[in-house]
Amino acid sequence: MALRPVEFHILLALAAEERHGYGLLQEVASLTDGELQLEPGTLYRALHRMLKDGWVAESARRPAADQDDERRRYYRLTPAGRRIASAEAERLWRLVSIARAHRLLSRA
Amino acid sequence: MPDISSPVERRARADSSRRSAREIRRAKADRRFAWWLVWLYPPAFRRDVGLGLVDALDDRMRARRAAGVSSFGVRLPAIADTLANAAFEWIATIRRVRLKPDTTDETEPGRADHTAPVPVVSGFSRTRGDRTVTDKLMQDVRYAFRLWRRRPAFAAVAILTLALGVGANTAMFSIVNAVLLRPLPYPNADRLVSVFTKPQSANFRQGLVSYQEYEEIRRQSGAVESIGLYLGQSVNLTGSNEPQRLVGTFVTGTFFDVLGLKAERGRLFSEEDSAPGTVKPVVVLSHQLWRQRYNEDATAIGQTLTVNGTPLTIVGIMEPPFAMTQSPGDGYFIGGVDLFLPVALYPTPHGLRAAGGQLLSVGRLKAGVSFATANADLDLIGKRLLAADPKTQAGRQLTSESAHETVVGGSRTALVLLLAAVGVVLLIACVNVSQLLLARAIDRQKEIALRAALGASRSAVTRQLTVEAAMMAATATLLGFLLGRWALTGLAWLAPPAGGGLVPSVPIPTHVPLDSTVLLFTGGVAVIVAMLCGLAPALRSSRPDISRVLQAGFRRASSEGRRLRDILAVVEMALSVALVAVSALLIQSLLAVQQVPLGFDPSNVFTLQFRLPQSKYSKPEDIARFFKGAIENVRTVPGVQSAALVRAVPFSGNGGTVGYAVEGKPVPDPAQMPQARFHIVTPDYFKTMRIPLLKGRDFTDRDDLQTPLVSVISDSFAKRAWPGEDPIGKVFTTPQTVGPITVIGIVGDTKHYTATEAATPQLYAAHYQVPLIFSSLVARVSGPPMSITNDVKKAIWAVDKDQPVWTIRSLEAQVDATQGQSRFLALLLGIFAGVALVLAGVGIYGVTSYGVAQQTHEIGIRLALGASGDRVLREVVGRGARLTLIAVAIGLVAAVAMGRLASAVLFGVTPIDPTALAGAAVILGAVSLAACYIPARRASRVDPVVALAEE
Repeated sequence: MALRPVEFHILLALAAEERHGYGLLQEVASLTDGELQLEPGTLYRALHRMLKDGWVAESARRPAADQDDERRRYYRLTPAGRRIASAEAERLWRLVSIARAHRLLSRA
Repeated sequence: MPDISSPVERRARADSSRRSAREIRRAKADRRFAWWLVWLYPPAFRRDVGLGLVDALDDRMRARRAAGVSSFGVRLPAIADTLANAAFEWIATIRRVRLKPDTTDETEPGRADHTAPVPVVSGFSRTRGDRTVTDKLMQDVRYAFRLWRRRPAFAAVAILTLALGVGANTAMFSIVNAVLLRPLPYPNADRLVSVFTKPQSANFRQGLVSYQEYEEIRRQSGAVESIGLYLGQSVNLTGSNEPQRLVGTFVTGTFFDVLGLKAERGRLFSEEDSAPGTVKPVVVLSHQLWRQRYNEDATAIGQTLTVNGTPLTIVGIMEPPFAMTQSPGDGYFIGGVDLFLPVALYPTPHGLRAAGGQLLSVGRLKAGVSFATANADLDLIGKRLLAADPKTQAGRQLTSESAHETVVGGSRTALVLLLAAVGVVLLIACVNVSQLLLARAIDRQKEIALRAALGASRSAVTRQLTVEAAMMAATATLLGFLLGRWALTGLAWLAPPAGGGLVPSVPIPTHVPLDSTVLLFTGGVAVIVAMLCGLAPALRSSRPDISRVLQAGFRRASSEGRRLRDILAVVEMALSVALVAVSALLIQSLLAVQQVPLGFDPSNVFTLQFRLPQSKYSKPEDIARFFKGAIENVRTVPGVQSAALVRAVPFSGNGGTVGYAVEGKPVPDPAQMPQARFHIVTPDYFKTMRIPLLKGRDFTDRDDLQTPLVSVISDSFAKRAWPGEDPIGKVFTTPQTVGPITVIGIVGDTKHYTATEAATPQLYAAHYQVPLIFSSLVARVSGPPMSITNDVKKAIWAVDKDQPVWTIRSLEAQVDATQGQSRFLALLLGIFAGVALVLAGVGIYGVTSYGVAQQTHEIGIRLALGASGDRVLREVVGRGARLTLIAVAIGLVAAVAMGRLASAVLFGVTPIDPTALAGAAVILGAVSLAACYIPARRASRVDPVVALAEE
């Protein structure tokens, strides 16, 4: 199975709350400290793929009225998506642990 | 309630509302832009997430704008992002449809079902997923570079081949753009028209207009907003050590209005200043003359210049229109002009109003008026003039055409032809490179299959080949673009000088501009090249049958990709045959033009022109005296065998016609009078030019103002006027002369304007009987004609030291100059054909021999099985020959079609000329057959064991 990095970042960004397109772009940038600056096209391609796979879905609920922009589409994580994200996080955690054991990680 | 805010506050509010109005407009434009970008994605994608993407793009652009980025900086990343991602989405859509055409919603193979728990596979197979699109592209680019470095010759040949094609196309298109597509550099250029009378003779495109016609159009026309007159002429400038000749143009004040010309300094003259009766002695300098002669000194204004013997005051300097030297003919109406003079100063015997049709005219139509309406209007004015004065206006009809058409119309065919030729060269180059890439793709089949078996996507190799083709196209385009622009500077050196009078020359501007149209064209060419070159290999590489390829002992079957290779080879050969054949046709036609008998012998003849200033030589006796003295002096110059004067040297573009009426026959209506070419010569002219005297006698010095008028006529005149009779002693009259004219001699016909004109009757008058202020000297020299230049000048200045002379050249050069256009065309075509021939030859040879070499293994098998080497050879060559025949046949058909198109330029050669066609067919056919034969022969001689073992 192949989970592309872009996808994982999107799943992470949606884990906390539902977001719309531009909000995702901003959140991904902030998660990676500005390193991963996605363009809308790239983001939406990944979103489209994940929509088809059922990891992400459009949200029926809307946030508070004062923050809402009626026309916007919000996206949320599905249970399947949550599972995928967890699995990937687990995998990375295992790798990080090995790295730490071999003293590759500067942090404790 | 009244508004109590202060003016400052009110202004601030107005400012902010104005600012946000601008921002609102921009925001709307951004959003619309985002919609357009999203439209580029596949429909399914748009349906699912299109709206969200529009929002995201819009937000991104707004954020960038808020950060102060320019429009360009905001839109460019959006475009790049969209193009790249949309492309991938489209590829994904197509692949999905191809792999599983009956399901539209299939997930990619390898993705987990979203209901089952997700197994995680670590390691190797995920390397693909970890890289982004850009990484993969960069890898392809690096791989292509590595390939090129390993085989630099291959890369260099391919890129150079393409660069040649692109360069030629860029250069040619720049010219086409500069001449045909760009407007003239005057305000409202689309409304400019040239106004003229319908020409009497087929040799001219436009007839001249008279001052009265100009005045009437100005007064009456509802369609023409403004109209001016102009006529270029060389003028004498005296007052410095050597009399100088400059290019002047006599214009009305309205001429400046029509073209929107302004004075850089001082003023331009008005209509009143230039009209007969109220004319002032003023002159306007061009900017370049002001720079050359006065070093841009402001005190030039107010100084005096003696032009044609008349002192004129400089009142202003003309400001050159923007980008003048980048437009056809360098602005055409004012290109190359040094001085602007009032039209009333134009030298005429009885004044401008009595001079009839002498001038050219340019006008500006009212806004919204069509050409048809304008012509109807002008026609009406013409008819009114005819009704008012039937005698002078007989046979004159006024009409007009777009000024742009006047300037460039004659060169359209030639330019389009050349553009088509370079297009073909580029096609050939692309096919060449495509074949090279295809051969490589076939070579790598095993590698492709291996990678596919190990899990790499099949698209990876297609992508790599496409990237390589794109890189090749990009590099070649850049290189070719530079080459092309550089070639344009060389072109100015090769191109024939404009003029030669009536032969339409291509008005290439001095500086061929580089504008966005050319850049766009080059970009388009690059894309087409990339597509053409990448297409064949991409088609091939996506379909290898993995299992078959990986079997042990798999050999590249010679039939692999054969169909495609054959098609490419045929296309390339057909194109080359067509191009070479048409070029041969044109070159042949040029040779034909140069061999047409002219009626005189142009070798070793020296010519120069002069015009006597009217003020100094107002009496016919003075004129005759000057010319007699000049001729006598010139005849004493060492090296001169004979000398004479003539009104217009053949092939100089000057000349005139006159109507005639034969005595004893009914006098025809002035409009229907038969026309003859009119020449004025001194005695010895025919001897100097070696025009055969068929009967009677030449003029002598005794034929002067005191004796009755005599004339020598040409053979065709004699046959037309007095068929079957002896013309010597017969009499005719012309409207311009007083009294009857007697024929004293008959000479052979000569060509006067072009080598290819039809025979026209010609009549010669005696110079001393019809003294003119302008004339030309011709002298036959025993050695090189130009060697006597200084001696002749001295001889003339001995008679009048202030008389400038110009257009000093040999007659041969003069005749050559008129053929400059065809020769230039043929030279260019010859170069293109040569390049195409080399490209095609190398390409055909390379690929055909490669294909045959591929068959070595097959041939080995057959030899081992007992087939005779000769039989195998015959078969292979036979196949090649069949293809060659097909290609040549197609090429010849294309050549005939192109020949028809070029027949406007061809002379003396029918489009279906066997020599040219056969020549092209034979050369290329021979190359192709050699390419089949030589490697096949080598293969058939090889020891079968070796051939079988070869991998």
